[in-house]
Amino acid sequence: MSSLFGTMSVALQSMLAQQSALEVVANNVANANTPGYSREVANFEESPPVLNGNTMVGTGVTMASVESVRDNILNLRIDQETSQQSNLNSYVGSMNQVQALFNETQGTGLQTYLTNFFNSFQSLATDPTSSPLRQATITAGQDLAGAFSQTSQNLTTIQQGLDQSVVQTTQQVNQLTSQIANLNQQIQEVSNSGDAPGALEDQRDQALTNLSKLIDTAVVYSNDGTVSVTTDNGTALVAGNQSDALTTQLNNTTGMHEVFSQGSDITSSIAGGQLQGLINARDNGIPSTQSSLDDLAAGLISAVNKQQNTGYNSNGASGSDFFAPFTPSTPDSNAGAAASMSVAITSTDQIAASSNGTAGDNGNATALANLQNVPVVSGQTAGDYYSNLISQVGNDVSNATSEQEAVGLVLQQLTNQQASISGVSLDEEATNLVMYQRAYEAAARVISTVDELTSTTINMFTPS
Amino acid sequence: MGIRVNPDVYSVILNGLQLNTQQQDQALQQVSTGQKLNSLSDDPVGAAALVNLRMQSGANTQFLQNITTMTGSLNVANSALSSVVEALTTAQSVGVEGTDATLNDSNRQALAQQIQGIQQQILGLANTSYNGQYLFSGTATTTQPYIEDANSASGVTYKGNSNTNSVEISEGQAMPINLPGSQIFGNATNNVFQSLQDLSTALSTNTNISAAATEVQNALNYVSTQQTFYGNSVDRLNNAQVFLTQEQTQLTTTESTTLDVNMATAVTDLTQAETTQQALVQAGAQVSQVNLFTYLPTQ
Repeated sequence: MSSLFGTMSVALQSMLAQQSALEVVANNVANANTPGYSREVANFEESPPVLNGNTMVGTGVTMASVESVRDNILNLRIDQETSQQSNLNSYVGSMNQVQALFNETQGTGLQTYLTNFFNSFQSLATDPTSSPLRQATITAGQDLAGAFSQTSQNLTTIQQGLDQSVVQTTQQVNQLTSQIANLNQQIQEVSNSGDAPGALEDQRDQALTNLSKLIDTAVVYSNDGTVSVTTDNGTALVAGNQSDALTTQLNNTTGMHEVFSQGSDITSSIAGGQLQGLINARDNGIPSTQSSLDDLAAGLISAVNKQQNTGYNSNGASGSDFFAPFTPSTPDSNAGAAASMSVAITSTDQIAASSNGTAGDNGNATALANLQNVPVVSGQTAGDYYSNLISQVGNDVSNATSEQEAVGLVLQQLTNQQASISGVSLDEEATNLVMYQRAYEAAARVISTVDELTSTTINMFTPS
Repeated sequence: MGIRVNPDVYSVILNGLQLNTQQQDQALQQVSTGQKLNSLSDDPVGAAALVNLRMQSGANTQFLQNITTMTGSLNVANSALSSVVEALTTAQSVGVEGTDATLNDSNRQALAQQIQGIQQQILGLANTSYNGQYLFSGTATTTQPYIEDANSASGVTYKGNSNTNSVEISEGQAMPINLPGSQIFGNATNNVFQSLQDLSTALSTNTNISAAATEVQNALNYVSTQQTFYGNSVDRLNNAQVFLTQEQTQLTTTESTTLDVNMATAVTDLTQAETTQQALVQAGAQVSQVNLFTYLPTQ
């Protein structure tokens, strides 16, 4: 049935729909710079037509939904790459601190102390009875031991700092997973009541991205609008409106915190995010550097002491240990050798420069100096072993940095792609604004026209 | 309908600026330090090589220092022995003069006294020290090697030992740096102090003066032979010094190649990065000052 009032109702619905669409435009423009905001579009739908005699007549428009424009698969890819990037960022950041301890490029690393130590014996050989030269070897030994010990302690300090960060990062993971579980619940409630949860989804996307910066995440979208989150290895983090908190426990053997989920240790299976980078540097990067340093220190201590023992001191007695001998706390491990390195002898006459007991003989001083060219650790000289250590530390950082750059470029492309899908274009919004405004004006014109028609009809019978 | 692109032009420009800033930082660091190797990860292999190079050049520096120290002591020993040879030459001619049959007892007595003076002079030379170390007492460098001893046939007693010290002058190459006085001043057949003592006695008693003069001549020849050790050693040190200095130059060149930046390249990189930055900033300033809203009519 068609009537003037029917036409007016169609025009009114149109005005309401255009008005809602203008609200969407306003919201898009307002959020043009909001991080994580996905642009929204107003979806118009034709109202069901009615049968008028033999013809179907349209009954106008309704705004069926407001839809957030997002690509969930692309978002997952971004989260994965973000996870990888955070992992590399925190690893590179940590290992940069480590490589700064071996400051060979500025010539202030261990190498100088090694060279000075061996040179002091070479110099003593020219005048083995000289007190100043003997004192110089003790000082060079103390400097070398101090450099080893300081470097080792600095490594431990960095490692402990990383351990603190692991604990804090785990707490941040828990905050985010609980936030995501809450948002899941709200989204489900809003969806059930028939409203669009776009703003909540934006918040959840942000939380998911932030979570992926901390830990590797695998996200599954359910039909009810919720997401479930696990790590790549299947450790549950969020399911519906429930989140599973991770805990940290102190491992008394290592003195470091392990990450637990529901009673099982997942520390080594964490495969992304800041947490992986921190754990990797804490449990692999630093310990491997530390153990090389310990092996080198232990090798030097034992070789120097052994050579010192074969010689004779100024008083003609057999030489005593130059460095405090290292006693491993666990068998076959040199752990702690560098940190505890110190010079044992206290007076200049204790240096065993003589190889035959004569005070003026220099045979053993030369032999001590020659330890520089003798394998002292893993079949390598101290210099070669140390230079390998240097190249390993450098390579480690260099490889991680290259990977970091590559991931950064991929992420940049993906983010750009995401923005091209979900970003607010002001030009587009301006066009829509004009479009909806004109449609609104047109609908208003229809109403005023119908009004005129109605008035004409009413006035038709008015006696004049 | 066109392809939708990222509407946020600034994010693209920002990415470009960030990448460019990294390059700029690196170039700036290279220019300011003069080094292309500023942290180990810049060139891990180069950093490792640098450690080896510096270990080697550090050791060489010490060898060169040892050479300087030893050249000093060897030169002093050498010149002491030259004086000994000179004194013995005088003693030998005094001995020959003593064989002259026209001399009377008092003349020979005077010659004997001259020999005793030479004895004292050589004793002093045999006790030469350098930098607090006696040069001719073997490895007992703090012990005065020869003391006067009336009970000894030669008039002196050797208090040093018969050992020698060697010092390394390059990697694995050790060189003896002394001869013990017991070897320099005498062996079983030739003995400087004994020959002088014998000549002095011969002149005083006018017996076997000619034989005693020959004995001094033999001792003189013997000491001259021993002296060549010191001359040769100084030569050897000079050669080692030349070699080590060349090697040091080579090592320094290699170190510089590993460590130092090519300034022209670094400065060009820096200029390029600056130009790129300016271009990006200008693009940022011009783009997106305008959007469609600007052109919408205001009522």
